[in-house]
Amino acid sequence: MPDTTTRAVRRRFRPTAATREAVAGWLFVAPVVTILGLFLLVPILMALWVSLTDWNGQGSPFLAGVPYVGLRNYTRLFTEDNLARQDFMTSIRNNFYYVVIVVPVQTVLALGLALIVNGTRLRGRTFFRTAFFFPSVTSSVAMSVVFLFIFANSGAANHLLALLGVDGPQWFADPRGVLHLLLGRIGLVDPEAPPAALTGGGPFGLSWWEWLSGPSVAMATIIMLVIWTTSGTFMLMFLAALQDIPVALEEASMIDGAGRWQRLRHVTLPVLRPTLFLVLTLGLIATWQVFDQVYVMSQGNPAKTTLTPAYLSYQTAFRDFEYGTGTAISFVLFLIIVILALVQRRVMHGRADRPRLRRPAWTRRS
Amino acid sequence: MRCGNLRNAALRLAVCGMVLSSAACGGFGDGRQVRQSSGPAALRILIGSSGDAETTAVRRAADAWASSSGNTAEVTPAQAIAQQLGQAFAGDSPPDVFYVDASRFADYASVGALEPYGDRISDPADFYANLRTAFTHDGRFYCAPKDFSTLALIVNDDLWKRAGLSGADVPTTWEQLTSVSERIKAGGIVPLVIGDTHERIGAFMVQAGGWIISPDGRRAVADSPENIRALRYVQTLLRNDLARFPQNLDAGWSGEAFGKGEAAMTIEGNWIEGALRADFPTVEYSVHELPAGPKGKGTLAFTNCWGIAAKSPYKKAAISFVEAMTTVDQQLAFARAFGAMPSRRSAKDAFTREFPRDTSFVNGAEYARGPVNAPKMESVLADFDAGLQQLARAAPETILKRLQKNTQDALDD
Amino acid sequence: MARPTDPNAASPASLPRGPAPGAGSRGSTPGGRSLTSTFAGYAVLVFFSLLFLYPFVIQIANSLKTEPDATANPLSPLPDPISFGGYERVFLGTDMPLWLGNSLLVTVIVTVGRVFLDSLAGYALARLRFRGRRALFSAVIAVMAVPGVVLFIPKFLVLNQFGLYDSYTALILPVLVDATGVFIMKQFFESIPVSVEEAARIDGAGVFRIFWSVVLPMARPALITLTIISFQGTWNEFPHTLVAVQSPDLFTLPRGLADLVTGSLGMGTRYPLKLGAAVLATIPVAIIFVIFQRYFIRGANEGAEKG
Repeated sequence: MPDTTTRAVRRRFRPTAATREAVAGWLFVAPVVTILGLFLLVPILMALWVSLTDWNGQGSPFLAGVPYVGLRNYTRLFTEDNLARQDFMTSIRNNFYYVVIVVPVQTVLALGLALIVNGTRLRGRTFFRTAFFFPSVTSSVAMSVVFLFIFANSGAANHLLALLGVDGPQWFADPRGVLHLLLGRIGLVDPEAPPAALTGGGPFGLSWWEWLSGPSVAMATIIMLVIWTTSGTFMLMFLAALQDIPVALEEASMIDGAGRWQRLRHVTLPVLRPTLFLVLTLGLIATWQVFDQVYVMSQGNPAKTTLTPAYLSYQTAFRDFEYGTGTAISFVLFLIIVILALVQRRVMHGRADRPRLRRPAWTRRS
Repeated sequence: MRCGNLRNAALRLAVCGMVLSSAACGGFGDGRQVRQSSGPAALRILIGSSGDAETTAVRRAADAWASSSGNTAEVTPAQAIAQQLGQAFAGDSPPDVFYVDASRFADYASVGALEPYGDRISDPADFYANLRTAFTHDGRFYCAPKDFSTLALIVNDDLWKRAGLSGADVPTTWEQLTSVSERIKAGGIVPLVIGDTHERIGAFMVQAGGWIISPDGRRAVADSPENIRALRYVQTLLRNDLARFPQNLDAGWSGEAFGKGEAAMTIEGNWIEGALRADFPTVEYSVHELPAGPKGKGTLAFTNCWGIAAKSPYKKAAISFVEAMTTVDQQLAFARAFGAMPSRRSAKDAFTREFPRDTSFVNGAEYARGPVNAPKMESVLADFDAGLQQLARAAPETILKRLQKNTQDALDD
Repeated sequence: MARPTDPNAASPASLPRGPAPGAGSRGSTPGGRSLTSTFAGYAVLVFFSLLFLYPFVIQIANSLKTEPDATANPLSPLPDPISFGGYERVFLGTDMPLWLGNSLLVTVIVTVGRVFLDSLAGYALARLRFRGRRALFSAVIAVMAVPGVVLFIPKFLVLNQFGLYDSYTALILPVLVDATGVFIMKQFFESIPVSVEEAARIDGAGVFRIFWSVVLPMARPALITLTIISFQGTWNEFPHTLVAVQSPDLFTLPRGLADLVTGSLGMGTRYPLKLGAAVLATIPVAIIFVIFQRYFIRGANEGAEKG
């Protein structure tokens, strides 16, 4: 079909080969550009408009009657002392603890597994690689169902704990913060009667005590699920990078008499630095968007301790019909992700410029 | 499917996207008035079914209506009806008829998604007054209550006897509830298991004469002395181990703990009957009205109405359908099929004759309080529930103060 | 949502390298210590494989148990007795056949669409010279950087405004192309020597003909990678279906499964049924994974990155 078109064009303009190529180029990219434009760019513009209104989901948001409220949907998330801000800040807190645990743990786990898999000289490398990676390709919804079962009150996890003589918690019904429990365990504070200094007040409508809760026990199950699903992917990335280390370099360091740890620190890790940056960035971006698992496993319960900004924005729009606030939340989330990614790039960039044998694809783009 | 006008729409949207001003996009979407279709209607009915029994019964009734009226009616059971409806309203073709839960009613009515047809159904005054109130918004009775349930006191007869109690000991006041619970506890049995949400504990607030919002639905009255008194009372029960939450008894909900024989009493609705029959068929129990508080009897009502979409092109047929679903005979048929209690007062006698055990539940209809009838309360009440979970430890004043503030914010919004 | 399995780059230059054949010569420190450390490494690997695979054992085993057995012995890998009651109820009591059909339909169309349209665009961006190419490519990169979650309500708005909401078109069209695929294909085409096309051009072949008959056949590895990634991604897609459709007739498997689990009125726990449904959602991807493993691994490997 582009052939006939170019021929038609030729009749009128006597085009040069360059023109033909240009026309073909645009025709080739047209479907992608149209669809991405219509379903990515236009929606974002529309949503920006909706976030400035009080549209309640009836009829079109572009009719004259829709009340324009300016930036109020944004400001009420930060400045007004009301439930909207409280829910938003709770979701930020929940997601923050989630990120702070998931990202380092999955990175370290992935790196560790990659080092071991790479180092092992026994048979079964492929099997292990496959085993660790398989959870990553499965459906998040299906895996959430499985984990719902595993962490049910009398589920597999609690049976396992019982074998070890531990009385497992009621995972999905338990809103207690892990940090609170920890502080209680070491006797620093009594979670049943937290010190008034902490409960008295705090930034953005949550008390210091609430900010310091840590992830709830219920959130811990989602954390475990996500670490379990994503570590495999990151392990593969590390593995690929490890296989790029020339044998000669390793052997040279071995002849130098470098010990295992020294080799890891001075030879392996520097080579892995770009991959490490990549894994951290990807992890950071993905973890701030956790949604599927929350939707299937907890819907923000118990006591809103698994509420995340992504789920809150969905719920605010489609359940409470506050589309303006819902879109505002998603744009704030967008901003958080962008800023964190930029900060991380800043922090890691200065250190990443060591001599490298092969620049991985991703660095070429910046 | 509905992609016919894509190019056209895309073009308009492109303009809209550029300009992004409401004026430029005036031609979009539908206006306020929905054109009514003539001829046979094809009703789409979305139900939040409690199970196969209900789905089958409603389908059968809908088929009967369809064939006698010359229309068609397609009944779809929804797994998560609140969510499906929310998106359907924002989309352009919501189902014509659907269940509306009373706790969500105000959200839908306040955004204009519902057709206020309540007074166009025959003999609307026959529906229990508090059910009508539950579906009234800004003074208009919107939709016909489908059925209802109330909370009652469920007593485990075996444990009751084991504690040395007789039928005469069933508590009718708070004082009696306390004293009888102490006797049960002395026998090493957990007296009462009660759900840790406002949908159970709220009954005590009603019995104390309090509630969350004022009768006209405009003011928050959550931090009233009556409410404080009610929560203090429940707190005392909890602190003295006279009442426990199901979570503390390793159960998902009160019915499970009660069925396992973990507690002598619970406060639940008539859905517990089906659950006990299915999961714990050997438990012997009796149903009694809830003990009265300082301001007399009080319980909570849960109900759905037959909502009709404001955007439906078949409103007339839809009303005729609802009419058929809410006749006394049809309501009794539903009661037989899946245990729903008729929302029409004139069906009460026939119902209690057939289901004597449900008498206490039905009696509750006279003094029951429906869910909070105000929009944007779902998040507020979820927050209140989180507070109630801490009731054994936290001060009722603090919990209620927070509820008061959030409720007022929601009402002002 | 945007799971980091999304691969963004593939180039034939970096096929997954297995262990170097001479790996035995690596790290040959004297016997004792090496043996213990190998053993320790092995133990760790076995432990973690159990951790990563046992949930699937639990999933399959419990889907074949009776409800009381699943409640009493959730850990046991052996159903006692084996019961197909869960699956029976999945097929008779839910809309599973419909969900499977919808999922298959959507997945096949989207996969075919993505492979074709992404290759077209990827080729144009890699090879054809036209004004705005560079800007377009930057735009593609920018699009890849937009977190999916931000597009949630926006996508709903746009579908609603077009009158597409709640239709097969809504399920398919917005995901019919993806920036990631374009990026993968562009990277690949750049690695093919220009001389091949030059020869064809001298023979007088048109641009599309060169693309279709000369270049595309050479892109087989990249095409397979893109195919299975699209298949896996679309089959598992959940949030998009959430904002694109609401009538149960249009539910795909993940959507149906999610509703099955979250439905507030769902009766009891019914774990064998839910796990059975989850097994059915897992099987197609699992089969493809086993067959095309190395392409999956390549997809995940090759410098996947957004932003």
